[in-house]
Amino acid sequence: MMKKGIILACIFMFLGAGIALAAAPKPASGDPIKFGAVLPLADITGKQASRAMQLAVKEINAAGGVLGRPLVVVIADDEMKGEKGAAAIDKLATVDNVYAFIGGMSSGVHMAQLPVLKKYAKPTVWIGAAASSVIEAPMAEQAWYFHLHPWDYQQVGGYITGFKELAAKNPLIKLQKWFIGYEEGAFGTTGYKGFQTLWPQQGWEVSGASFKSALMGGGEYRAALRQAKDYKPDAYLWLGYDADALPMLEQAKEIGFAPPMLIGAPPGWPADFGKSPLAEGVSLFGMWAPSLKEVSKVSKHFWDAYNKEFNEAPATYFAPLGYTNVYVVANAINKVGSLDQDKVIAALKDTKYDSPVGETLTITASRALKNQGFTKQKILQWKKGVQQVLWPLDFKTAEPAYPFPAWDKR
Amino acid sequence: MKIWKAFVIAALFLAAASLPFYTGTYLLHTIYIIMMYMSLAISWDMLLRAGQLSFGIAGLFGIGGYAATMLQVFTNINPLICILFGAIMAGLISLLIGLATLRLRGIYFAIITLAMAEIFRVIIRNLPDTWTGGAMGIVLNNAIFNGDVKQTYWLVFGILLITIVLSEVFNKSRIHFAITSIRNDEIVAMSSGIDIFKWLVVIFVITSTLQGLVGAAYTEIYGSVNPDANFSVHYSLLPLAMALLGGIRSTWGPVIGAIVLGLAGEYLKLLMPYGYLIIYGLIIILVILFLPDGIMGLIKKLTQKK
Repeated sequence: MMKKGIILACIFMFLGAGIALAAAPKPASGDPIKFGAVLPLADITGKQASRAMQLAVKEINAAGGVLGRPLVVVIADDEMKGEKGAAAIDKLATVDNVYAFIGGMSSGVHMAQLPVLKKYAKPTVWIGAAASSVIEAPMAEQAWYFHLHPWDYQQVGGYITGFKELAAKNPLIKLQKWFIGYEEGAFGTTGYKGFQTLWPQQGWEVSGASFKSALMGGGEYRAALRQAKDYKPDAYLWLGYDADALPMLEQAKEIGFAPPMLIGAPPGWPADFGKSPLAEGVSLFGMWAPSLKEVSKVSKHFWDAYNKEFNEAPATYFAPLGYTNVYVVANAINKVGSLDQDKVIAALKDTKYDSPVGETLTITASRALKNQGFTKQKILQWKKGVQQVLWPLDFKTAEPAYPFPAWDKR
Repeated sequence: MKIWKAFVIAALFLAAASLPFYTGTYLLHTIYIIMMYMSLAISWDMLLRAGQLSFGIAGLFGIGGYAATMLQVFTNINPLICILFGAIMAGLISLLIGLATLRLRGIYFAIITLAMAEIFRVIIRNLPDTWTGGAMGIVLNNAIFNGDVKQTYWLVFGILLITIVLSEVFNKSRIHFAITSIRNDEIVAMSSGIDIFKWLVVIFVITSTLQGLVGAAYTEIYGSVNPDANFSVHYSLLPLAMALLGGIRSTWGPVIGAIVLGLAGEYLKLLMPYGYLIIYGLIIILVILFLPDGIMGLIKKLTQKK
């Protein structure tokens, strides 16, 4: 009896192990399916996005690949130059024979890539290039073109909603008078024009002054800051680059300018910005913050996996965007079960992906484009060296520090 | 000897002209990017041969691009005509600048040209958006030749040929004596009856027209203009580095420099995608430090020893 029991137990164990093995993902095999990513590799956004893409590839291949075949992401550097970005598309299409194009950062580079992308008309899922006036309309008729980053006007629309919701929750927060310090290039000027149009529609006053960004050889902000100080705004917002962050705050401290709300809106922040005592209480915009890992399981998984894989922390939202970029295309192909382009495009339109950025990514129409992904950024704040999420309230990780602390009381 | 030389040049021309028939799209694209920079490098060197150091390539490159794009947007005429218009506009603007500034010499003229790109960029950005697209620029409906790489290659190859022929005319005709004389000693040149100002204006206008031509072709090829991108200092500095690397005051020095730097950049990028720019920069520094006469200078030294 005992012997029979042991034999039966062994049979069940073998059966169980067999079922488990059959159910486990088979390692990907066969000819690889290739995606081609174009990114600026000398910039932290491109470097971390490319690493996050490789992380996604590793995970996807460990889980069985795409259609059972290994996935490969071929990465090409655009050097932040239009002609190089366009040549990279040609290389990926004709030398590497990629199935889809992914990546992207600068609108200026992407403008030069549009004719080449139209030539190949392959599935393209872009994570950068937010300048709607030069990208959205020219790509409106391209069914194969997907754009994940919120357009510039969507970002501004999101800030309006966000600040109104924050003010409704915290009656102390005043939003009546705004002063915008903007870098004189395309990024700052276009952004300022958006504020000039949309802010008065909310009944908010807005004024501004330009400065030459440190990135473009400038770095003198006192004139703009003094104008802002005289204006006595409820909120001061600067549109510039990461290189402007610390000198801007140093000079604001020097002239004693500490408005109730101080907001910075560069695409990326200096790596050690959080360690500076000047950072405390500075608000910012972004699609993602490390603190999201406290409220989002996908974000926590991404954070842990990225740290483990590269022994560094993701510091820019282009990292989770790059990770999302690969998964979205891979999932669409796996869902369809083939590489039939029309079917994959239909599946991409039907995307529902829990992204490490926080939101579940779906594809909807924007003003001109049929295939738009994310539609807003988040309002964040530096607190004790960490970016905390203030808005959307669903992802809130901290209460807003308001008003901005005086320079001599920190 | 002359027959052999003509034969080699004809063979090289045929090989270059027929390249699209046996080369892939990516290589062809890379080669025509290099050819554009090569044209800029040669045109910069042509002015240098008259003793004038210019940092204004980016300004004229951008003017050519904007003029071509705006004509295209407003009239929708043949892009080739727009490219010619871009070149003519760059030439006309350089004529005005040349008449006003070419009495200056040395560092003063260099500073004026250095400011040119920035001044043009600010003007373009502040013109009404309906004209220039403002800070974001303009995207054309389509690229020239609908993005066909072969035809685009021949367009750029044609521009390069024009540049090389003009550069050789500068080297082989009486102009050569005039500009060499101006560079070496202006007083001697004047006493020889050379109208220095007139010749400098002529050379500045010709080289600027070439730079405008390349800029105009660039915008028609990539179907867009943007003040930050098209007036980027990069278009002034890279051609300059190419000419210095290859060897200045000749046609073939900038040609060699453009080939070496252009291909090295692409090859290094494929070899080590992260950080190749460090190696690229080191190559430029080392060559300029140890080969002040460039690769052409080294070739001359080696052949003289033999």
